[in-house]
Amino acid sequence: MARPNLQLQFAHSPVLRYGLAVTSFAIALGLALLAQRYGFRDVELPLFLFAVAVTVWYAGIGSAILAVVLSSLAFDYFFTEPRYSFYVRSSELPYYAVFILFALLLTWFSAVRRRVEQQLLQSRNELQMEVVKRTQQASLLNLTHDTIFVRDMSDIISYWNRGAEELYGWRAEEAIGKHSHQLLQTDFPLLIEEVRAELLRTGRWEGELRKSKADGSSVVVASRWSLRQDEQGRPVAILETNNDITERKRREEEVQSLNEELAKRSTELESINRELEAFAYSISHDLRAPLRHMAGYSELLQKKASSVLDEKSNHYIAMILDSAKRMGNLIDDLLAFSRIGRTETQKTLFNLAQLVKEALKEVQQDTDGRNIAWKIAALPEFYGDRSMLRLVMVNLISNAIKFTRTRPQAEIEIGCANGSADDLVVFVRDNGVGFDMKYVNKLFGVFQRLHPSDAFEGTGIGLATVQRIIHRHGGKVWAEGVVDSGATFYFSAPRP
Amino acid sequence: MESMNKLGRILMVEDDPKDVELTLTALEEYNLANEVVITRDGEQALDYLYYRGEYKTRSSGNPAVMLLDLKLPKVDGLEVLKQIKSDGELRMIPVVVLTSSKEEKDMVASYKLGVNAYVVKPVDFHEFVNAIKELGVFWAIVNEPPPGSVRK
Repeated sequence: MARPNLQLQFAHSPVLRYGLAVTSFAIALGLALLAQRYGFRDVELPLFLFAVAVTVWYAGIGSAILAVVLSSLAFDYFFTEPRYSFYVRSSELPYYAVFILFALLLTWFSAVRRRVEQQLLQSRNELQMEVVKRTQQASLLNLTHDTIFVRDMSDIISYWNRGAEELYGWRAEEAIGKHSHQLLQTDFPLLIEEVRAELLRTGRWEGELRKSKADGSSVVVASRWSLRQDEQGRPVAILETNNDITERKRREEEVQSLNEELAKRSTELESINRELEAFAYSISHDLRAPLRHMAGYSELLQKKASSVLDEKSNHYIAMILDSAKRMGNLIDDLLAFSRIGRTETQKTLFNLAQLVKEALKEVQQDTDGRNIAWKIAALPEFYGDRSMLRLVMVNLISNAIKFTRTRPQAEIEIGCANGSADDLVVFVRDNGVGFDMKYVNKLFGVFQRLHPSDAFEGTGIGLATVQRIIHRHGGKVWAEGVVDSGATFYFSAPRP
Repeated sequence: MESMNKLGRILMVEDDPKDVELTLTALEEYNLANEVVITRDGEQALDYLYYRGEYKTRSSGNPAVMLLDLKLPKVDGLEVLKQIKSDGELRMIPVVVLTSSKEEKDMVASYKLGVNAYVVKPVDFHEFVNAIKELGVFWAIVNEPPPGSVRK
């Protein structure tokens, strides 16, 4: 805190000032008279001069003149012959003149001294204030975690805060007086002349610098320079603030390299995926030809020889044909599955309710002779590839129809579950044979089946296709089931 | 026979002998097989059409229809199709692509080149026979081929 401002001041009121003159004069007169009574001689003049001196010191020149006048008169009246009269003998005039001159000189000296002293006091106060201010600023700068140091125009460090000590490991007394770029081995990303030019032109510069610590390790800092100018606008010092961004930089680099790695991986994955798709396609394509031949020749054999073959042999041929047909379906489904991965999605906004109607029409022949209670809720708008979504609905609905086959009264519900603000959730629920949740993760795999094929026919590709389509739409698929108590299949997708 | 006289010549381009046999069997079943020329690759098919090589001295006339497989040795089906459809004379020959599976890329390419029909061979023999029969009946009997086609 600033100390109270020390300052000598004359009393403001003239009554006080002139009162002081009169009082000090009166005291001097009293003392002089007292001294005279007790036989002391020649003390009156020093006493009067003292009174004048006190007056000029504390009440200024005007009052001092009054004191001089009063002292002169009193001296004349009480202490010079003839006493008790104001008459002045001409022989004593020089004596008076000396006294008055001396008093005036004293007054003038005192006034000058006083003025000088006052100026000195003021300067001291100002200096103290400045010291306090600077100390405060410096300790404030010490409080911050940021690294702050000041250097002059030849880069000699003149201030070094605690943050700088902590970051660089040099104590203030070690750093101050050193050349900053040499001490910190500053590595500039561009020519230092350019940096200086910008600093002088705009008063500031900022950029990333690599510097060295006392222990030799290097650190990347976000550095800000501000130019300090004197009153004439001449640059005098540079204040530099550093923030350690080594860690941030390292993370940035890490993130970047991770991103690059990710991009590389995803490109690799993409190309592997493409190869795999091509492989699947070509396999399926090439498998079809021999299969067709097997089916064809078996049928020709059946036609030509069935009359001469026994029942068992005919059964064998029938089984070959059945298997060929099944394999044909498998290959066709696999082809369709592979096609989903290869074709671009063509997204539009459409009505899911209308799509469900179409899907129901498509699976109608599977419902012949069945007793199914349909419960179809209001369905939202959907943004996606309509033909793919149709495939999803057909697959899920035909599954529900298939796995409720053993129910005298099948119940199939299609609705919309509570999604999130971003995603909508659609489900297809049935009261069919259900499944064991233990195997839920197998449901959506290619060729995965949870039921023997003679119980429920199928290729095991339907749900894999559903999953692939939903994934391509940025959604998820999941299922809940209880053995013998039905199953619910959900899919989510971003809301339009 | 009257109907036999009207039967157009069928040019089949097929490298797989089993496919050839089964196709012929299917055609025979409906008496459509008596004028079928079989070539085993794209080059041979083009030789036939341009009277080159072993077909230098063949009797003149274009087939009423050409059944073209896409996967062929030497010159593949799409290349054969391209050459035919860019030839002022041959472009009139109806070309039916008969292939093993429905690859959209092939289908689009074939139609762009001006194919007249695109048929995926069904695995099921019944369906296969039906498809061949319908093709044979339509292109070799029902359809009126362009002038210059061979008809018996």
